[in-house]
Amino acid sequence: MLFVQQLINGIAQGSLFALLAISFAIVYGVMRLVNFATGSLYMIGAFSGFFIVRYVVRDVFVAIFAGAVAGYIVAFVLEKLAFKALRGVARIASLICTIGFSVFLNELAAVLFGSEVKSMPAFYGQTAFRITGVAVSWLQVVMVATAATVLIILQLFIYKTKMGLAIRTVSLDYRTAALMGINVDRTISIAFSIAGAMAGIAGVLAAVYYNAVAFNMGNLPGLKSFSAAVFGGLTSIPGAIVGGYLLGIIENFGVQIISTGYRDIIGFIVLVAFLLFRPRGILGRKTSM
Amino acid sequence: MKLKSIRPAFVSFVLRYRVPFAILLGVLLVAYPWIVRNPYLLRVATNVGIAIILASSLNIIIGFSGLFSLGHAAFYGIGAYTSALLATRLGVPFWLGFPAAGIVAGLFGTFIGFATLRLRAVFLAFTTLGFGEITRIVILNWRDFTRGPLGIAGIPVPRLFGWSFTREANYYLILLLCAAVILFVYRIYHSRLGRALIAIREDETAARSMGINVFGYKILAFTIACTIAGLAGSFFAHFQRYVSADSFVADESFRIITMVALGGTGSITGPIVGAMILELFPEVFGFLAGYRQVIYGAVLITVIVLKPGGIVGVKGVFEKPRATRRSWIAQALLPRFNGGTR
Repeated sequence: MLFVQQLINGIAQGSLFALLAISFAIVYGVMRLVNFATGSLYMIGAFSGFFIVRYVVRDVFVAIFAGAVAGYIVAFVLEKLAFKALRGVARIASLICTIGFSVFLNELAAVLFGSEVKSMPAFYGQTAFRITGVAVSWLQVVMVATAATVLIILQLFIYKTKMGLAIRTVSLDYRTAALMGINVDRTISIAFSIAGAMAGIAGVLAAVYYNAVAFNMGNLPGLKSFSAAVFGGLTSIPGAIVGGYLLGIIENFGVQIISTGYRDIIGFIVLVAFLLFRPRGILGRKTSM
Repeated sequence: MKLKSIRPAFVSFVLRYRVPFAILLGVLLVAYPWIVRNPYLLRVATNVGIAIILASSLNIIIGFSGLFSLGHAAFYGIGAYTSALLATRLGVPFWLGFPAAGIVAGLFGTFIGFATLRLRAVFLAFTTLGFGEITRIVILNWRDFTRGPLGIAGIPVPRLFGWSFTREANYYLILLLCAAVILFVYRIYHSRLGRALIAIREDETAARSMGINVFGYKILAFTIACTIAGLAGSFFAHFQRYVSADSFVADESFRIITMVALGGTGSITGPIVGAMILELFPEVFGFLAGYRQVIYGAVLITVIVLKPGGIVGVKGVFEKPRATRRSWIAQALLPRFNGGTR
């Protein structure tokens, strides 16, 4: 009973972590960069979803679409503004830039929209069905279904289109990719923007799930899903998905077993312990990078 | 490397008269408490001193060895709590708590280093980030030991032969510590250890094939940096007389990294400049209130994009390859030892 309850909560939260972890994995794959602004893109997605629901239409799917578009556009602009100029320089410069963007975007949101927590209207509160007496709300179903749809579309994009092929090639070896006539700059730019869209979608889902939007909502999920991405091997999208869902489930069980005070580090500890024994993650590539 | 470097006129002027300038700077620093005669400004100067120590020590990890540590504030915090707990619970004087703080922080550093430095660079980043969060949350939750969110208050100021340190004495103490740390970092840079670290940073495989014990040197560098951070934490605890987990969050780690990167990764003066900028920025731009952080983010991005190696960056991996009309990808495709600087 309690077990099933925690499992369902874990899967719902895991959908958020999985989307964010994919965002990390795509960026790390093509740029070898840990994007600390992912949490801010998540926050921007949440805010755009919030404004759509509040002032335009009260529809979750429109909000999710808006979050994706906002994440895509902001990520595209960030990439053009900074990371394009920093190619070929030591990675610490780009890393500092992502930290700078994270501070800049969060504080800008605090100045523009206020630093108080805003409440998001509730959706799909009714029970969809029961598993061994545990109620599963429609919202949880919608979340998991949305995440699954997005992941399938992304897989199709990466494995069935020419752009996807280019992204895979660049993430393997950008020098060879360039010699094969792939426009590396454009590929990186598109991959980075798609990663932004993933974070934006996760943000809208989180806003609906927790009924809250705030300027600093992305900080902790960002750090946690980074650990999920590392767990999955950091360059592998399927790995990131598994890592995200596992993190969600481990966290919810951990809270049950240990204590809520340690909620935010249970996942970290489990994942670090795991990585000590298997450093390349669950589905990571064998080659060291 | 400096075969033909073009320096601005101001810099070459300073370099030509560096001995008089150094003496002048030293006199100004020693006379500072009498020049300003303002407790608040003295406090700001002391905070700048702590920041310089933290940034210089992190520079050993990031700048010299090319490793990413995202949890430097955790070691700073461990040092602060060690010293604070020893002083308040056992009545240990500052002069014993200070080295103890360094040793404890250094031991944690060695432990983290042993676990992760054999793996890919990104694991150190990940583990230190996680370690920072773990440290913060353990401090908040282990109420019996650390008093949780209340923090530890009433830490005694350092005493010497029965005489309690005043603000001025604290300032001189941090000035002395700063000078010692900067000198130490300078000596490391020009020692066998420093050369080995820089060789590892520039090309790990080549360094290993030259017989450099890569893993051992990395652990040594990481431990030294963590020890210095712990010492800074101990001073902070006795100077502030109050510690809480809020001072050692991930944002503080990012702030220390920013000091290093903004000032100049891998140079000796870079982190000093960066620490001064980051500490003094809120003081100078206090009137901007809510917009301060926004502007800070924007300034940081602008500086890094325009000058990726930092304000006083050194040549090497942290700067752009020589400016040519080729695109970055063409640069990357050049054979390694044939044209490109890397």
